[in-house]
Amino acid sequence: MRSVPGPKPNLYEKTAFWHPGRIYATFCSIRTGIVLLILLGLAAAAGTLVLQRPLTDPEQLGRAYAPETLRWLDALGLTDVFHSWWFAGLLTLLSVNIVLASVERLPTAWRYVSRPYRRPEPHFLAGLRLQKEIPIRSEDSSMEAAAQVFRQMGLKPQRVPRAAEGSGETASGSSSASLYAEQHRLSRLAPYVVHASLLLIIAGGMADALWGYRGYLALTQSQQSNQIELRDASRKALPFSIRCESAGRENYPDGSPRRWWSQLSVVEGGREVKKKQVEVNDPLVHRGIRFYQSGYGSTGEVSAIQLRASLKSDPQQAREIVLRPGETLPLDAQTSVSLAAFLPDFILNGTQIENHSPELNNPAIQLVVRSGKSGEAAVWLFPRFPNFARTDASPYAFAVGDIQIGYFTGLQVSHEPGQWAVWAGVILMGLGLAMAFYFVHGRFWAVPVSDGRGRLVLWVGASASKNRDEFEERFHKLVERIENRLQGAAEEASGLSKGTRGRASRGDGKQAEGASVAAPARISSQFSS
Amino acid sequence: MAHAAVPSRVEGGIKRHQQAASRSASESRGRSLPLLVGVGVMFLIILGMLAAAKSTGLLTEANLLYLTLIFYAAAAALYVSFGVTGAERSALFARLATAAGLLANTLAAGHRWYAAGHPPFSSVYEMLLSFVWTLAALTVLIEWRYGVKVIGSVTLPLATLGVILMQLLPSAVRPLVPALQSTWLHIHVTLAMLAYAACAVSFALAMMFLIQDKLRTETFLISTTALLMTIYLGIAARFDRSGGLRVAAWDPGEGREIFYAEKSPLFVIIPNLGWIFFLVLAAVMVPLGLALWARWNRGTTLDSDDRGFPWANRAFFVSTLVQALGLFALVVRARAGLYPPAQAVPVEGFFATSLAASPFLLAGILGGLFASLLYLLLVWRREGLERMLPSPEVLDRLTYKTIGIAFPLLTLMIAAGAYWANRTWGSYWSWDPKETWALITWLVYAGYLHLRLVRGWRGRRAAYFAILGFAIVLFTFFGVTYLLPGLHAYS
Repeated sequence: MRSVPGPKPNLYEKTAFWHPGRIYATFCSIRTGIVLLILLGLAAAAGTLVLQRPLTDPEQLGRAYAPETLRWLDALGLTDVFHSWWFAGLLTLLSVNIVLASVERLPTAWRYVSRPYRRPEPHFLAGLRLQKEIPIRSEDSSMEAAAQVFRQMGLKPQRVPRAAEGSGETASGSSSASLYAEQHRLSRLAPYVVHASLLLIIAGGMADALWGYRGYLALTQSQQSNQIELRDASRKALPFSIRCESAGRENYPDGSPRRWWSQLSVVEGGREVKKKQVEVNDPLVHRGIRFYQSGYGSTGEVSAIQLRASLKSDPQQAREIVLRPGETLPLDAQTSVSLAAFLPDFILNGTQIENHSPELNNPAIQLVVRSGKSGEAAVWLFPRFPNFARTDASPYAFAVGDIQIGYFTGLQVSHEPGQWAVWAGVILMGLGLAMAFYFVHGRFWAVPVSDGRGRLVLWVGASASKNRDEFEERFHKLVERIENRLQGAAEEASGLSKGTRGRASRGDGKQAEGASVAAPARISSQFSS
Repeated sequence: MAHAAVPSRVEGGIKRHQQAASRSASESRGRSLPLLVGVGVMFLIILGMLAAAKSTGLLTEANLLYLTLIFYAAAAALYVSFGVTGAERSALFARLATAAGLLANTLAAGHRWYAAGHPPFSSVYEMLLSFVWTLAALTVLIEWRYGVKVIGSVTLPLATLGVILMQLLPSAVRPLVPALQSTWLHIHVTLAMLAYAACAVSFALAMMFLIQDKLRTETFLISTTALLMTIYLGIAARFDRSGGLRVAAWDPGEGREIFYAEKSPLFVIIPNLGWIFFLVLAAVMVPLGLALWARWNRGTTLDSDDRGFPWANRAFFVSTLVQALGLFALVVRARAGLYPPAQAVPVEGFFATSLAASPFLLAGILGGLFASLLYLLLVWRREGLERMLPSPEVLDRLTYKTIGIAFPLLTLMIAAGAYWANRTWGSYWSWDPKETWALITWLVYAGYLHLRLVRGWRGRRAAYFAILGFAIVLFTFFGVTYLLPGLHAYS
């Protein structure tokens, strides 16, 4: 690809830098592109080395940098590189560079595709790196041999009629033509496909940055909402509501999460229009807005506790009850029990009982037992530490069974209108790169001409867009095969001239027979010389 | 031409070399080295048999991995000995050992896949398993297709290093957290491994190109010592004021690091180890200083002799020994003893540590030693190496070709990762450090391709660019995980 003709920036080298021609030339030069790539790389690297506001909480930023430094970083946009105006500016400049460089270079590449160079001119023949002249005795037989070898090597030869002025050069008066074959012509366009795909991706990304949003929605069971919380803690109303029918979590035996799921419904205008079970890696999509399972947790509020109450005076006399918050259950004619407090994960801080997290790790339950005889008694229960019992005035002792607490499901909400452009760009880029790296535009010519000394030769030439060395190997093979075939035909022809006719019935027999009449003596002398 | 000519050229070079060797006095040395390597390999195999016999099942993953290690180590030794002596027989046995190692590696990976129920890509251990496999497979491929035999003397030691690291990392099959249960993740990681392995190969080829391009040995000296200095400066950052070295604490029962709070691993101080690594840092800086001094002197004095460089090389040899000493000290101290915590933490007492707790520290030291050994190989056997390597044109082209393979893989890797992130977190791109650095890697290789294809960059400049690209790949792979936090906390 060394030879891809670029624009001519030198034309404007002497002009003032504000000269439109020079500005244009600067914008479409590859050097500008490389500089922009380097700047983008440096900016991106800075964005990973400096703490970024969207990814860190303000306290951590305050701890990491002195206030003065932080002010400067903020002013320069270094604390939010990827949303700063200059990063967007760099991307825009790169896009402009890609567009202009492609516009500048595309016509050259397009010419390869639209107007294949079938009929090479003498100056082109002379300048080609891969070329070889094979002495032949007649045009037709050599053309036929060359065409067969082309086909043998997987090429589709086209017969190109010679231009009018060329007919005088040929030695024999037979129909003058040359051969042309090419492969993977479209690979010339591959760089432009890749560039177009890159533009699509950038455009999609920018559209998302401008019109997309991301938010969070937490729902408890059978709760319904259309209010999502955005990144900057503001709220946004969706045109429809989401209801969480149920949610759950499955664990591995070692306690680490295996699966989270939520059964969601979309409610629009009071009607349920869609239902889906959402899991991690499998979102719900409605009207281009997607809902992802991102978290699942306990609300820390209890919904029901199973208790076994037994009389302290007579432990055999026991009963099972299910206690809910705000409920008072009778235990016998004079005694009733209600829930006073529930801590899902308590720790002892001195003598105070404090809650540590909303997870059901170490629950503490406070019951109030009202008895006609002994009055009101507060009972603390610690299911994980059943022996840690306090003496209280309650006539009953309690054992805790199953505890049901409320759960919420956390949903990420995102709207990315540009993502389809991004995916289309990605697919296009895959195709373009495959075209660019794995397909070579190869061109082959075979032209019968007379060489400097007036001898008839078959000029064979080839050129490739890249991978020149492997291509050269292929070219040599092609030439060798044509030579072998011609030589074989010549030997056969000379054999025929000695009187052993009848062997000439192979694939190329017809031509060989026709050619044998021409001048067998001349050919054999050519090959012996 | 490239396919046909390279092997013959290489073999021609070897024949010439063998003739030269038979004439020269180093004949006995050339024969004794393969013998020594052979004895070493036998020793390793016997050790391996003993280890296998002791354990319960014969075809367990650990045994297969051990077998992989033995074969790769043998192949690495044979390849290096081929690099030194040019004996064709070494290369043949090296190839056999690589093939055997690859087989064992494949079985180990298959065993892992079967046991875990998901492809082996979800932890550092599993990714190394796949990476090592890719590296060995690529070596076999390049040798078979392009006839570049000496590539094994770079890639196989790397593979061996990887397997050694794997022996230290926690290998228990852990259940996958929900975000990692996706086919797209497997595609993403497979592509990443393939792309990074191709980048590694392009780096090796670029280095070989520089050797063939007659880059001065002292330039290699300066760059190698600069790399070593960077590594040991990084380690010296763990220096404690008391003279100890801070390393992560390890819970041997659980087989994992100890966290005293969420995302806050506990560190312990190994007393006096900090001083030892300071010594290593100093030892590494001496040859760098000597080489820079000699280079500066040559420019200024008229009777410029290069006497400084032999001294720098001697100092380098010493520094390699000191590095080995540092590694030895770390291994010994990390294995035995309980150490005080480095932070003010609510928990009290002394904690154990393990080499497995500091994989990056160990990878840095081992990588540095590996680079040092390669440099010493270059110093001692440059002529032999030059005779054996393909021509600079072939190496230049092969570098470009491997990058031509790596770049589309990198692109697809990023795309697959974006698609996975989109399905999991609802955003295809969130500029987390790993993503950003993958993009920077992509930009660097895009720059390489443009400069080469459009501006016609060839030879040395292109080789430097390829080396820069691999340096950034290394940073993306290790540096980001180690230094910059992000979503990719799983890997």
